Amino acid sequence: MLKVHSRCDLSCDHCYIYQHADQTWRGRPARMPPATVQAAARRIAEHAREHELPVVHVVLHGGEPLLLGAAGLREVLAELRTAITPWARLDLRMQTNGVLLDEELCRLFVEYDVRVGVSFDGDRAANDRHRVFAHGGSSHDLVRRALALLRRPEHRASYAGILCTIDVRNDPDRVYEALLAESPPRVDLLLPHATWDNPPERPGPEPTPYADWLGRLHRRWVDDGRPMSIRMFEALRPGGGGTEAFGLAPADVLVIEADGTWEQVDSLKTAFHGAAGTGFDVFDHSVDEVARHPGVAVRQEGVDGLCATCRACPVVDRCGGGLYAHRWRTGSGFDNPSAYCADLLRLIDTVDAYPPPTRPASGERAATSPVDELLDDLATGHGSASTLALLADTQLSITRALLAACRDGSGTTAAWDLLVDLDRSAPEAVRAILAHPFVRPGLVHRLDSSAPPGLGAAVDPLPALAIATALRAGVPAALHVPVRADTITLPTLGSLVLPGLGGSAEVTVRPGEFQVRGGSVAQTVLLDPLAPPSTGWFPTRDVSMPGGRLLIEDGDPYRDCYGQPVESRLDVPAARALGRTLAAAWRIVHRDVPAHAAALDGGLRAVVPLAPDPARPLRSATARHAYGAVAVTPHPDPETMAVLLVHEWQHAKLGAVLDLYDLVEPGQGLRIRVPWRPDPRPPEGVLQGVYAHLAVTQVWQSRAATDDPDASAHAAHFLAWTRDGVDALLASRSLTAAGERFVGQLRHALEETRVGSR
Amino acid sequence: MDHAPARSSRPDLDDLTRSLHVPLERIAVEHADLIEAVRSRVVTNASVPSGIVAVAAFNSSI
Repeated sequence: MLKVHSRCDLSCDHCYIYQHADQTWRGRPARMPPATVQAAARRIAEHAREHELPVVHVVLHGGEPLLLGAAGLREVLAELRTAITPWARLDLRMQTNGVLLDEELCRLFVEYDVRVGVSFDGDRAANDRHRVFAHGGSSHDLVRRALALLRRPEHRASYAGILCTIDVRNDPDRVYEALLAESPPRVDLLLPHATWDNPPERPGPEPTPYADWLGRLHRRWVDDGRPMSIRMFEALRPGGGGTEAFGLAPADVLVIEADGTWEQVDSLKTAFHGAAGTGFDVFDHSVDEVARHPGVAVRQEGVDGLCATCRACPVVDRCGGGLYAHRWRTGSGFDNPSAYCADLLRLIDTVDAYPPPTRPASGERAATSPVDELLDDLATGHGSASTLALLADTQLSITRALLAACRDGSGTTAAWDLLVDLDRSAPEAVRAILAHPFVRPGLVHRLDSSAPPGLGAAVDPLPALAIATALRAGVPAALHVPVRADTITLPTLGSLVLPGLGGSAEVTVRPGEFQVRGGSVAQTVLLDPLAPPSTGWFPTRDVSMPGGRLLIEDGDPYRDCYGQPVESRLDVPAARALGRTLAAAWRIVHRDVPAHAAALDGGLRAVVPLAPDPARPLRSATARHAYGAVAVTPHPDPETMAVLLVHEWQHAKLGAVLDLYDLVEPGQGLRIRVPWRPDPRPPEGVLQGVYAHLAVTQVWQSRAATDDPDASAHAAHFLAWTRDGVDALLASRSLTAAGERFVGQLRHALEETRVGSR
Repeated sequence: MDHAPARSSRPDLDDLTRSLHVPLERIAVEHADLIEAVRSRVVTNASVPSGIVAVAAFNSSI
């Protein structure tokens, strides 16, 4: 947090900077001098470089940062971007009272990708109870004007949200409505800073007025369908993750004051004069030196850094002892519960109790959480259509988040703008492209190798994604697309191989065709599937299946994610042969285990041929980043292929679940003996193994009911493997509570494994 | 305002579901925590060998 200006143009009586115990602001320069900005930026960059941080969050703060003016702020932003972005992604934020915000400043924030939070306490009466000028005048209209500016489409990307300091004398419904009216991406509700020396004001007889007030607001928010993100309520949910004010995560904020001194979080200023001081400054001390300061170090210890009362409390993982500053009491220091402890306890109860869980009618199963429902359904061995649809949606959502993360790293580009336009005009085309299994591996590769940037970034995948989407949507467009090994691959459509294209080519999309110009080459590619392919164009090939078209993916460069060599493009007879085998195998899965066939229909979209290896002719694989695809050696026997597809699809489904939930306790280093390999395996591998083997058991049990002479032996063999693996896993104590439930249900399914059999 | 991303270690199912209905251009602002959680869970894990479970039938990590 950078205190770029230490004075303010408002005179709020609840401000912890000026109105509480600490008065160190009086001896500091009004604005941070350029040399101090430069030293601060260098210190942050130094820390990012030495620790290879993927991202650094910098918040411009005050006082009031807008008092620097547009020119002063531009200098600060330019200095930070220049110094830090070669080493880490820089997430720039600002907290302001909004009074001075104008269009010029909004344009500046959009240009430098700064996200702005505005302090605003709600309706006029609530806001002006505290947020006034020194002469007593209202700030309400000016702040609302600022929020309206940030809501404009051209500025919206810089609108981070609203900080609302609550006052229990205000009407919670009117505050809620006033906040909602500003359409904030996020609202951060702040308890007024208080300590045991200066306890929270409790104007009425109720013992927990803050919990009551926030509980009322929470009920409105839930009843309205959670129309905006409210950080406090989201953080207090079980597993909500926490914020600076809640939860047990290590403190990760340092403050650089206007004079260049390093300080701890500035909310400590409410405790006593000089409470946030460290004795260090950016000219002589690194971030690592400050991080070793006892006041910072104690906040890295999680529950062990809390007082005995908090350590013994059943909800300590939810509130985390509350905001550090609120624990202060002269004599015992910070070794106390929060001055808001009673309110926090009651608020957690309130958040948990509303909405109330649905009571099952007589004779119905007890209500289960969405997590339990999803895991229970998949533990049957296959999973219902709705579960498969949910997994596909979450995978698509993760890919969209990765796409946005790429944009965060690269800034706005023509490719991003095109994708945004297409997302508005042709969302189904965007969805079709982003659901392609090998988009996520490309985005992950890009993000992973670009951190830290400057050390060999991967090819930007966004232009090819945007062009492929435009082609699918039939929308004219033109972009420069990176060329790799003389090849441009358009996901789901095909690859263009043209020697001499150079490092980048201009691709122009027209109805039914696209044109490529690069290096010494120009080529028009017709997309008519009935016409012979244009020179150098290798379209993807697919097979018709009950669930849709199954792609034979032998061109996308990101299909190389299976830890073993993939086959290069198959010739026409080989592709047709594989297509016939896959179609026949799919029919066999429908014959043997219809429930598993429905699960395949619900998600398998691509098959990658693996390179032949005479020593291991029968192989298959699944990659965690490529949901919707499996890799196989092109074995000609459809009965064998059917088993491979069922087996691998189990891994794909479980991989998607593991993106959402921890089923295995992380970092144990445990190894478990399993019957299917001589070497002990990690718990996650065993979990994957038993889930796949359960399905294979079900296939062979189904076949055993026919005249297949070997099927019974195979079924018994896989049943024993699965049972032993499940028992070993349950005995290992390596599973989370959700994992225990999943594997327990799985064992139950194993004993009743007639699901899907004929 | 606490501008730091929530200290969540994994993407939340509700957030993932809701973000699907948010236009691409607004995801970064309205689901900043989700992006950080995905980045932390999906990308950071990518560099850890056990994070890529390239599970195969007869010769893999199972």
